[in-house]
Amino acid sequence: MSGGTKLFMNFDITPTSHTLAEYKARGGYQALAKALKEMKPDQVTKEVLSSGLLGHGGAAFLAGRKWGVVKLNDGQPHYLCMNADEGEPGTFKDRWFLENTPHLLLESMLIGSYALQGRHSFIYIRGEFDLAYRRMAESLEEAYAAGLFGENIMGTDFSCDLVIYRGAGSYVCGEASAMLTSLEGKKGYPRNRPPRLTVAGLYQKPTVVNNVETLANVPYIVTHGAEGFRKVGTATSPGTQVISVSGHINTPGVYELEYGYPFADFLANECGGMLNGSELKCVVPGGISTKVLTREDIMPLAMDHNSFVAAGSQLGSQGMIVVAEGTCMVRLLQVMLRFYHHESCGQCTPCREGMGWLERISNRLVAGEGRPEDISRLYQISRANDGTTICGLGDAAGYATVGILDKYRHEFEYYIENKRSMYEGRLEVAGLGESARAIAASAVA
Amino acid sequence: MKHLIPEFEVWKKRYPAGFEGSLVIPCCRRIQEDRGYVADSDIAELAEYLSVPRIQVEEVLAFYTQFRRKPIGQWHVQLCHNVSCSMRGSEGLLVHLRNKLGVAPGQTTADGKFTLSTVECLASCGTAPMMMVNDTYYENLDAQKVDTLLAMLAEGAPS
Amino acid sequence: MIEFFIDGVPMTAESGQTVIQAATAAGVLIPSFCWHPHLSAPGNCRICMVEIEQDGGDPWFDIACNMPVTKGMRILTDSDKVRELRKDTMQFITLNHPVDCGICNKSGECLLQDHHYAYNGQPSLSRDSKTHATKFYPLSDRIMLDNERCIMCSRCVRFTDEISKSHALGVLNRGDHSLIRPNTEVDFNYDPYSDNVIDICPVGALLSTQLLDHARVWYLKNTPSVCPGCERGCNINVWHRKPEWKLNALSPRLNTSIDRVTPLDNPAVNGPWICNKARDLSKLLERPRAEVAMVKGAPVSVEHAVRTAAAMIAIARKGVALVSSWGSNEELAAYHSTLAPSFTNFVKADHVPLPGERIEDDVLIKPDKNPNRHSARAMFDALPENPADALSAATDLVFVWGEGAPMEAIPASARVILLSSYAHDDNAHADVFLPISVQTERNGHYTNFQGVVSEFQQCFQKASGVADASALFESLFSSMSGGPATLASPLPSNQRMVLSAPMPTTPPAGGE
Repeated sequence: MSGGTKLFMNFDITPTSHTLAEYKARGGYQALAKALKEMKPDQVTKEVLSSGLLGHGGAAFLAGRKWGVVKLNDGQPHYLCMNADEGEPGTFKDRWFLENTPHLLLESMLIGSYALQGRHSFIYIRGEFDLAYRRMAESLEEAYAAGLFGENIMGTDFSCDLVIYRGAGSYVCGEASAMLTSLEGKKGYPRNRPPRLTVAGLYQKPTVVNNVETLANVPYIVTHGAEGFRKVGTATSPGTQVISVSGHINTPGVYELEYGYPFADFLANECGGMLNGSELKCVVPGGISTKVLTREDIMPLAMDHNSFVAAGSQLGSQGMIVVAEGTCMVRLLQVMLRFYHHESCGQCTPCREGMGWLERISNRLVAGEGRPEDISRLYQISRANDGTTICGLGDAAGYATVGILDKYRHEFEYYIENKRSMYEGRLEVAGLGESARAIAASAVA
Repeated sequence: MKHLIPEFEVWKKRYPAGFEGSLVIPCCRRIQEDRGYVADSDIAELAEYLSVPRIQVEEVLAFYTQFRRKPIGQWHVQLCHNVSCSMRGSEGLLVHLRNKLGVAPGQTTADGKFTLSTVECLASCGTAPMMMVNDTYYENLDAQKVDTLLAMLAEGAPS
Repeated sequence: MIEFFIDGVPMTAESGQTVIQAATAAGVLIPSFCWHPHLSAPGNCRICMVEIEQDGGDPWFDIACNMPVTKGMRILTDSDKVRELRKDTMQFITLNHPVDCGICNKSGECLLQDHHYAYNGQPSLSRDSKTHATKFYPLSDRIMLDNERCIMCSRCVRFTDEISKSHALGVLNRGDHSLIRPNTEVDFNYDPYSDNVIDICPVGALLSTQLLDHARVWYLKNTPSVCPGCERGCNINVWHRKPEWKLNALSPRLNTSIDRVTPLDNPAVNGPWICNKARDLSKLLERPRAEVAMVKGAPVSVEHAVRTAAAMIAIARKGVALVSSWGSNEELAAYHSTLAPSFTNFVKADHVPLPGERIEDDVLIKPDKNPNRHSARAMFDALPENPADALSAATDLVFVWGEGAPMEAIPASARVILLSSYAHDDNAHADVFLPISVQTERNGHYTNFQGVVSEFQQCFQKASGVADASALFESLFSSMSGGPATLASPLPSNQRMVLSAPMPTTPPAGGE
């Protein structure tokens, strides 16, 4: 199978494939049984740690280490929270899990709560994911009815209640501490650290926040052990990644790949090659908050964490955007900066003021009113947001900006000098772009 | 809002003790589903019901883009204008929608049927360009599909 | 205690302190906007970022207000990188700030000005227009909000959450569209501590509506005083025009009135806070004054009034005195050693809560609306609930010191000697009326409900017909024993008058 072993995308999606009955038929909830009946909570954590499972939310932190920080017998409530606030532009792979494997996620929450000795757990789903929310909510009621949640699960003394919490439209609530503050019924304001969330998180109690896909790996690890999990992927990036890919390709979508899969194969096979016979210009590898990689940068790469870091970027949130030759990078950056400005929570000075400043400069550039010092100003604002903010949103805007400027400075210089784009301001590949311009031309002023 | 309290009481049972404040966001959503927006009287009643400061409810309503304190059109047409959608034609679709509906983003048609908004990434980049109308995603769009959808919605039925 | 270093200098911190708390306690200035020693630390302004040196590694940089002190930590507050970080932060803070110091009331006492000059001093690097927001938003009837000047430090919001607990303020919207707003029922009018946000606002975003464009702060000086509004006795600064900046063309009264009142930080009494009653002290202290001594409503000289009153006191068989709970410790001591033995003394409440006034809370406000009942009650009993119990029909002289006496309970046959500061119809009905000074016209001390003594200092001169109550007590006493009725020179504030020998009994020389 192209892309290697499939841990998740290994069944046919049908109108009923997400139901409890069919999930059980595929072996569902057996990992939970094993964990509850054959393993102690700290054994589960040890297995997750040994597996080398890295977080799939963007930071690639060792999941088991985060779990291991929580002291099991401190007399405090512990909360496991699944971060399903998928908002990084270009990323849509968590949505696949929520809509298609809701019970896998519920099982993973139960195992995780057992390992962390959490009586209550939460799944925070972004507000716009209506279908995903309804699937998860219906599945949760199925699970409750089957005695998989509530008191004395599977006849053991483990009890657990789960709340599916729906957000209401805010990218910054994907940041773990902002997500918890939102879960407390407030504005999604990120928090300074210390304290770490594993010490004082939800309502100031020890909390573990994990990405959807990260948790989705847990049942497999329990069933097959750390050893079994490590058979998949590479030594430093074990397992698989479910990657969302979009942009100027023929078959955008969600694909599961073993880590280590060559990018060139991915582009030719899963992505179906470049759209309309266009040439690859560059790739935004893991959501717009990761630095852009040119064709020269990315074509030789294997898709694993270390390779992308060595190339100067990262796999990030696994939201890859493929950009064809002829696309105007000045306009692309403008769309990105508009996004960051819209989503800044407004707490801290560098981001609150910096995001608006970045967008205003990019708007002027696109309008043909750029000035020579604008490029150094964009760099300066990015630098002033690097490591100086409460959360990573400011840094992210900086990476997007610096990444594009480092590789495509000449486009900006051209735009400033000639007061127009090198590429007619094009964001669409030739063909589709025509239709857009035709529509625009026929518009009533 | 008071007629929704029995539902809220059921929700409360799944939360740990002391988590009443958390209910602000789900309750606001339910109130908005019911009324179409969250009214000033709802804010007062909700703040009292959950024993939270009134200002907390107001902050939540102003911070999150999905909440509104005034009614809008019957169909909220929310077109994504982020990166992947822009790369696959959403800008042209925006022009098309502006012409077709005769309104700019943020405005509602005179007949009260459609409110047009541009929104950020809805995690549907693989099926770009796309939009969300009320709670439903409509993906892989082009001008023709948009026209068909708008016509159906104008009749009152979602596709 | 934890030992660490700031700029190479050894310091100690208490366990649990952050770097900025330890630095502040040691007198080391780390700039801040959002951090305030009495509020939680949101860490949003970022100006307090410092450098932490690491052995064998790159230094790291983080905010000092959220950084717990650890043993051996080496903090740098003035390295090149820290200076660069502060410059960047100042650039961002002033990016959309209107910089309208020329018309802003905060000018001269503005943290933004101070930090700009200290840490940036450069014009803006932006060539884009500034964002605009509401300029004159009424946060309450008393406070005007300028959203363009606001730097979103959230001190005002945190004050209403953590100190006054009115929860009246919040932040609406997000990003650079964020706005401080009151909740829509404008509850902030009912927060009696609202005006503290004006003090703690580090910029000119929150300003007093009453004082808008009233005076530049550098034309004013502050005199330490004590608020007489209740028995908490909050320490305050009374601001008034510097003599060298007196107004020549406008009403001379403006040179001798209270321009504003701000808190004076006393950890033992009120910390850095006061309630709005203190802010409105001019309403309380600058009511129309009594300035002329009277005998049964006819104006007389002070000496004549004193002789007349002294004679009444000397022949009274059953005198009752209603002692002021606004008397200072010094005045009470003078009264106690002179006239007190001539009367049955009761301490009255000169002021009672007004309709709608908050009686008590767990922040500052106390139910007794008088500043020195504590000292007065140490000497004398309280006036009974029913004043008639103290003013029996046999009472033939009532000595009333201060306001608020139950004049209607005084038997019609009794004579009344009234000492008061304020114009009132009762003044003309008294057998003898003597105008007295208010606290801003002398030095003195009050003792609050917990026994803490606080000092108030003189701001203004008394009008010519007005005397200090203590001087009147001395001369009344002197006149009673046949001595002169002229006012003794003002006594040092902490001295009790001790009479060593009886006064001569011959009547005073000279006529009226």
